[in-house]
Amino acid sequence: MSIQRINAMIIRYMYVWFRSIERFMWSFGWPFLDLIIWGITSSYLQKQSITSFSIVTFILGGVIFWNILWRAQNEMSVNFLEEAWNHNLINIFSSPLKISEYLISAIILNLIKLIVTVTTLTVSAFVLYKFNFYTTFGWHIPFLLINLLLIGWSAGIFINALLLRYGWSLSELAWAIVFVLQPFSCVFYPREALPVWAQKISLILPSSYVFEEMRSILFSGNINWFNLYLSFGLNLVYLVLSIKFFYYMYDRARDLGKLVKLN
Amino acid sequence: MSILSVKNLTKKFPVKGFWFKKSDFTAVNNISFEIKEGEILGFLGPNGAGKTTTIDILLGLTKPTKGEIIIFGLPFEKNREKILKQMNFSAAYVNLPWRLTIKENLYTFARLYEVSDYQEKVNELLKEFKIIHLRDRLTNDLSSGQLARVYLCKALINKPKLLLLDEPTVFLDPDIADLTRKFILKKVKELGMTVLFTSHNMAEVTELCDRVIFLDHGKIIAENTPSGLAQKIRFCRIRLAFDDTLTGKVKILLDNYHYQYKLSGNYFTIETEEEKIGQLLGRFSMAKLKYAQINIDKPTLEDFFLKVVRENK
Repeated sequence: MSIQRINAMIIRYMYVWFRSIERFMWSFGWPFLDLIIWGITSSYLQKQSITSFSIVTFILGGVIFWNILWRAQNEMSVNFLEEAWNHNLINIFSSPLKISEYLISAIILNLIKLIVTVTTLTVSAFVLYKFNFYTTFGWHIPFLLINLLLIGWSAGIFINALLLRYGWSLSELAWAIVFVLQPFSCVFYPREALPVWAQKISLILPSSYVFEEMRSILFSGNINWFNLYLSFGLNLVYLVLSIKFFYYMYDRARDLGKLVKLN
Repeated sequence: MSILSVKNLTKKFPVKGFWFKKSDFTAVNNISFEIKEGEILGFLGPNGAGKTTTIDILLGLTKPTKGEIIIFGLPFEKNREKILKQMNFSAAYVNLPWRLTIKENLYTFARLYEVSDYQEKVNELLKEFKIIHLRDRLTNDLSSGQLARVYLCKALINKPKLLLLDEPTVFLDPDIADLTRKFILKKVKELGMTVLFTSHNMAEVTELCDRVIFLDHGKIIAENTPSGLAQKIRFCRIRLAFDDTLTGKVKILLDNYHYQYKLSGNYFTIETEEEKIGQLLGRFSMAKLKYAQINIDKPTLEDFFLKVVRENK
């Protein structure tokens, strides 16, 4: 394992991040707009509602947590696609860089960018809607965050593995996969709101437990730790499987000459 | 000492039908070769001959179906990281991230190859390739000639012991291509590198390579020095210019002796074996047909290339 090589990949993407307007938008702009739209919507609903329960808090909590999962997956896949768009995959994979180093660099980079995105969202939510994310969720935040990050990474690595083997035809999945997961993750509604067949799917999604517990904290201030452990356990299984799948697909891509063709 | 040794290398790709695998396509067919330290070996062959697939296998980008690859005395698959640290690569079809500056791109690869004092080394290379003034320019803003030099800087960043160059000059104009070749030769001598080089430019291969391996349909069909391969062509081209009044008589003589020739204006281009040139000229002399001008073109690597490709079609 070489720290210098991991560092090389992190810095390489940082250069693009600082320079590219669309990457800036992905980290700051779109999440901020998402927050604005949902903030206005929930504020309106709050005014029309007779309930004392804070719809704004409920929705904005969901938006912030959802953006964490979304960005974790999307950044992972887009950085990989960036190498293919630049015809640079061959340079990267013919260098001494190991797959493990590549994946570690992607995860560290992801964490750095997420700190920026989460800070932007939480500060904006506080300034615009007086929603204090940190006091609302308190010391539960790291436990909720880690579970969302893990599923985002697993999904990102899984998509990258598919891209390696099947190429451009699946590149749309880099953006679409989270929207397939979203309805079953129960971001804005409880699991019981889903049809029975969809509830069964949501039970195997670690993110659904996180959003259920997020709502539990908002409603009662309590958390069911078993659900978070379950989410964490499922996440570990998915992460290990996605990494193994990536290695397998990398090997298959080398066997079929697809790695060169993706470039 | 052998830097690279390839034994019985074969690569088959599955050809898919609508649902299932239909057959296999053999891109590289049981080839064996070696490159000695300091040697520049040329890989020559028509499109689809297996040159790039072989290079991809040597870089670990494609897995061989069969065969053994030993680089720096070590089996490649088990020592990938150790070997790749001492190798590098450049190809016309591979780019560098276009939103990074030249300096940023080269720093990235220097870190990937764990080069110490890389900032200094990047500056040295940029100066040598006369592109130091471009170091803060975006890669996207460079001309193809400037890019070719940047790619070579990337390929030389770790002072590789083995350098693989896949058609590095293919998109360059003749002047820049010539400059690039000179850079390559200079650096190869300076650093004592071993080079595997592919190109479709026969003059380039002749100029750069100590030895050439000719591939066709995945097989090695010839291996020699560039001049050695050219000598396998026994035909020479003789261009003779005659006075307008004599062209008719010359045509009759050439037809009588069944020579292959082309007539353009009053220039005859005749193909004949090298040892029969004297006989041809003697026949003109006997017939009192005096030529005004004579040029004899000896066979080149290109003639060998064309002969082999046409024979194997």
